[in-house]
Amino acid sequence: MATLNEKKTCSERMENFRRFVWNPETKLFMGRTLINWVWISLYYLAFYVVMTGLFALSIYSLMRTVNPYEPDYQDQLKSPGVTLRPDVYGDRGLQIYYNTSENKTWERLVTTLQTFLTAYTPAAQHLNVNCTGDKYFIQDTFDGPNNTKLSCKFTSDMLQNCSGIADPTFGFPEGKPCFIIKMNRIIKFYPGNGTAPRVDCTYVGDESRPLEVDYYPVNGTFNLHYFPYYGKKAQPTYSNPLVAVKFLNITRNVELKIVCKIIGAGITFDNVHDPYEGKVEFKLKIEN
Amino acid sequence: SASELEEKYGTSINKGLSSSRAAEILARDGPNSLTPPKATPEIVKFLKQMVGGFSILLWIGAVFSWISFGIQFAQGSRPQNDTNLKNSKTLIFVILPSPQQALVIRDAEKKELPAEQLVVGDIVEIKGGDRIPADIRLISAQGCKVDNSSLTGESEPQSRSCDFTHENPLETKNIAFYSTTCVEGTATGIVINTGDRTVIGRIASLASGVGNEKTPIAIEIEHFVYLVAGVAISIGVLFFIISVSMRYKILDSIIFLIGIIVANVPEGLLATVTVSLSLTAKRMAKKNCLVKNLEAVETLGSTSIICSDKTGTLTQNRMTVAHLWFDNQIYSADTSEDQTTQPFDQSSPSWTALSKIVTLCNRAEFRPGQENLPIMKRVVVGDASETALLKFAEVILGDVMSIRAQNKKVAEIPFNSTNKFQLSIHETDDPNDKRFLLVMKGAPERILERCSTIMINGKEEPLDSEKAEAFQTAYMELGGMGERVLGFCHLYLPENEFPDTYPFDTDSMNFPTSNLCFVGLLSMIDPPRSTVPDAVSKCRSAGIKVIMVTGDHPITAKAIAKSVGIISATSETVEDIAKRLNIPVEQVNRREATAAVVNGMELKDMSLQQLDDILCNHSEIVFARTSPQQKLIIVEGCQRQGAVVAVTGDGVNDSPALKKADIGIAMGIAGSDAAKNAADMVLLDDNFASIVTGVEEGRLIFDNLKKTIAYTLTKNIAELCPFLIYIIASIPMPIGTITILFIDLGTDIIPSVALAYEKAESDIMNRRPRNKKKDRLVNEQLAVYSYLQIGIIQSVGAFVTYFTVYAEQGFLPSTLLGVRVDWENNAINDFEDSYGQEWTKYQRMYLQWTGYTAFFVSITIQQVADLIIRKTRRNSIFQQGLFRNKVIWVGIFSQIGIALILSYVLMAYWFVAVPFAILIWVYDEVRKLFIRRYPGSWWDKNMYY
Repeated sequence: MATLNEKKTCSERMENFRRFVWNPETKLFMGRTLINWVWISLYYLAFYVVMTGLFALSIYSLMRTVNPYEPDYQDQLKSPGVTLRPDVYGDRGLQIYYNTSENKTWERLVTTLQTFLTAYTPAAQHLNVNCTGDKYFIQDTFDGPNNTKLSCKFTSDMLQNCSGIADPTFGFPEGKPCFIIKMNRIIKFYPGNGTAPRVDCTYVGDESRPLEVDYYPVNGTFNLHYFPYYGKKAQPTYSNPLVAVKFLNITRNVELKIVCKIIGAGITFDNVHDPYEGKVEFKLKIEN
Repeated sequence: SASELEEKYGTSINKGLSSSRAAEILARDGPNSLTPPKATPEIVKFLKQMVGGFSILLWIGAVFSWISFGIQFAQGSRPQNDTNLKNSKTLIFVILPSPQQALVIRDAEKKELPAEQLVVGDIVEIKGGDRIPADIRLISAQGCKVDNSSLTGESEPQSRSCDFTHENPLETKNIAFYSTTCVEGTATGIVINTGDRTVIGRIASLASGVGNEKTPIAIEIEHFVYLVAGVAISIGVLFFIISVSMRYKILDSIIFLIGIIVANVPEGLLATVTVSLSLTAKRMAKKNCLVKNLEAVETLGSTSIICSDKTGTLTQNRMTVAHLWFDNQIYSADTSEDQTTQPFDQSSPSWTALSKIVTLCNRAEFRPGQENLPIMKRVVVGDASETALLKFAEVILGDVMSIRAQNKKVAEIPFNSTNKFQLSIHETDDPNDKRFLLVMKGAPERILERCSTIMINGKEEPLDSEKAEAFQTAYMELGGMGERVLGFCHLYLPENEFPDTYPFDTDSMNFPTSNLCFVGLLSMIDPPRSTVPDAVSKCRSAGIKVIMVTGDHPITAKAIAKSVGIISATSETVEDIAKRLNIPVEQVNRREATAAVVNGMELKDMSLQQLDDILCNHSEIVFARTSPQQKLIIVEGCQRQGAVVAVTGDGVNDSPALKKADIGIAMGIAGSDAAKNAADMVLLDDNFASIVTGVEEGRLIFDNLKKTIAYTLTKNIAELCPFLIYIIASIPMPIGTITILFIDLGTDIIPSVALAYEKAESDIMNRRPRNKKKDRLVNEQLAVYSYLQIGIIQSVGAFVTYFTVYAEQGFLPSTLLGVRVDWENNAINDFEDSYGQEWTKYQRMYLQWTGYTAFFVSITIQQVADLIIRKTRRNSIFQQGLFRNKVIWVGIFSQIGIALILSYVLMAYWFVAVPFAILIWVYDEVRKLFIRRYPGSWWDKNMYY
């Protein structure tokens, strides 16, 4: 045991290490002969090739078994998330701060909205059909071109005052800004159980305080004919219906906490963990 | 002389010390007791446990965790835990010596005092049965004999007198030593040394001066820690560099580094090792091996040399009749522990005569009230040889006491050292025979001198030179076997000369004591335990060298060595060869002799090289007449050969060697407290065979630890790969740190402990003891096979599960690659999956946690397969038996049970990894098949761990 406890000097250690790397007497390179290294490397090479093959095979068969139109499970997506445009995130979620007198502060927000709405120009929507019925647009067959399903047209002009057509500044300089509320897509989700879900914006914590809001389209509803969504493969040109909200009496120079909920059967907004499920909360502060 | 002594110690033989003087000396010298070895304070032990060995890595991990916790505090933490399972308290064996009283003369009065209060110069009286209270110079003695076995290992009581006989205090007859016992007679003496200054005290301090060595298992664990730490840190640093060069933030890179290290540290292993050691210790306690130091369990398994004491360990520690000689023939007697009959021919009338002498010429008696006990277990009053004869007679003839009662004793001369015989005269039990029977036993040559006839087949024949020659041959033969030989003779006194009323006077000896009739010889030995020869041969086949080290005579030692197989039947010592070839000892080629008997006297003059030479070149060695220091030298000599040495012993004289040995084994029954204190293990039944069990258990635990470590290491790769792929491929995190800890400290703990219950694979006792420099606990093959093969299969299986979960929830593998930054972005709450659905951050995180769980579940499933394959290293699982170790199944069910409790995930995901689990099993079976099929091949060398 004494030999194990002997303290070796650094040079001895180095020498031992060098001997380990290449031992000229036994012709061992790092404890093996060269030919042995070749064999072991070949073995591992073969082993890893086989393992990679197995992995590839597994993934291939996985891809073969999954449904191309909709995922096998949707238990993680029970209620849709809600997002807001323009979306500026601060430390604690969405924070929309701007100064009416400083153009730069709101031009950024306006650009975001304009960019976002480019997907809703009539040109972008020309592949979609006009829908009129206020019922779910259920399609059991593939009626669209290239074995797809049809999607309903949603164009920005449906947002009327907030469409950016009449007022390209979306009311920002006047202190009556437009915000666009979007509901996340979930395949085969039927929101509202027959009645169209609608957006409802209030102050957070003080719902009695009146918040004057204009909703576009009328009543702030998502028309039922945009639902259900059949997935990217079935509806490649589908675009989410939008609701625009225009706040009319925003107190200046005060940070306001506003929440916009989507009211409708099947849409929950009381998940304490998820601030964006069924609702979107944001802080708004307009200075001048 | 007595007056000189009085002067030297300032005392008076008749009056003793005065109480005041005694108190003074007591204050100066301290109490007459041995100072117990310094005990390490509990807090120091505790701290040592806290930081020792493996814990260090965990502590470092803990520190890192806190750092990372601090770093991540703002980002929503991923807290990490560490564990420090304190080793369960080692079993502590404490035997408190009973308070001892001594009869002291003080102030001219006899007083009973506690032995601790004795001081130098006290006059003490001792009698048979007392423990000697201090080192005593005798000033008067009557038939005093002491049992020095605890000090020197001599099994026979030594007589003590007032005469100075030897320079060496250990050899001289006028000193009795502390802690030995007075067997018979009485004596008075002056206390010359007390407490730690006594001979025994010096030996005890010699023992405490011998440092403790690190146990082999501790070295192995240390080696393993280095290895794991090396792997963890180098992979960590490597990926730190990779992640930095891939433009991850430095802070993130540090967190990756910590994650990798945490994934690599087998947190549960420390607990597992301790638990399996404790389990084995418990199992061994059931087999009468009490383990004081847990790590000693494994040390025993790697033992390559056992230095065994003779008396009490290899032998039964009681004299027993071994051979008889009558009718010119030697008969052997059964010497086993539980004899009930004797097999030799008892039809000869000579035997009848001999048995009568044995029965009658004997002063030993059974203690009353033991009728229900087996004869061999009964307690006898009398010395060792008389006891042996009494029990021998009782076994063959039945009730000895009633035979004695029928043959009334009329006169008796007890044994004394001048005439060396014992004689008694009895009436016969035949009512028609009015003659007296004179029976005598004693040293054979003395007995023969007194005989003129010899009994052959029941007839008295004249003792001519031819018959005397036959006697001599038999005597030499029995003596040469190391046995103590007694001669027996008798004489029927003629009725006319010695009528009923004849007044026998033992002082004037008014009866014939010569021209007797010689009947036979009986020889006695302290016989080997019946289990020992088998145990020794098992040690042999296990490649363990058994060396006998005893304080006894070389001849006895050699005889016992031969009878238990320490010296095998075919091998010869140098002396034997010389005798056979009829040449002087010096001319014998020493290399030819496989066996050696070395006397303590020879050992004294040897250089270390000569000793090494003997230890190297002889496979069968007996050291006789050795002193405590020499035992130490022998042990050190063995250790110089690179051997792991186990030492057995019972006496105080053995304690330095016990301490020095890699593993000291003390005897539980015969052992002294000093020996038990110095030892790592106590054999509760004093049986050498228990050591073999211990060796087997020790080897088993080494094998099983190997399996456990292999099992534990494997999943590290499956825990590590996710980090690496996460960094390189930027996929969502497959497994979280807490999930890793769930595996390490949750599901994997019970299965890895269950491997400690695994039975030996085969041939565990037929291979050589492991070479402590080459056969490491964790060798390259083990690490490589676990990490780079099974670990990789597990990772692949787990990743397939991971991709399955994500694909079935909407994220196909192609979508996942490179998605990390957006995925983890809090500002993206409409993250699109492969099907066009949109996910908020929380929904994604929830999915990620489902992924963790699925990953965790699939590792668990594959660990079940891993657990099954680790049951064996060479044999097929089907050879070993899938259901023989029930605990493994407890492990498997607990593993799955814990996983079920911990996780809520679709049942389907449990089965994704099952094909890979089966693959692991099949692959390992193939590996084992090739190992068995082609031993020594390239495959065997690279794949067997």
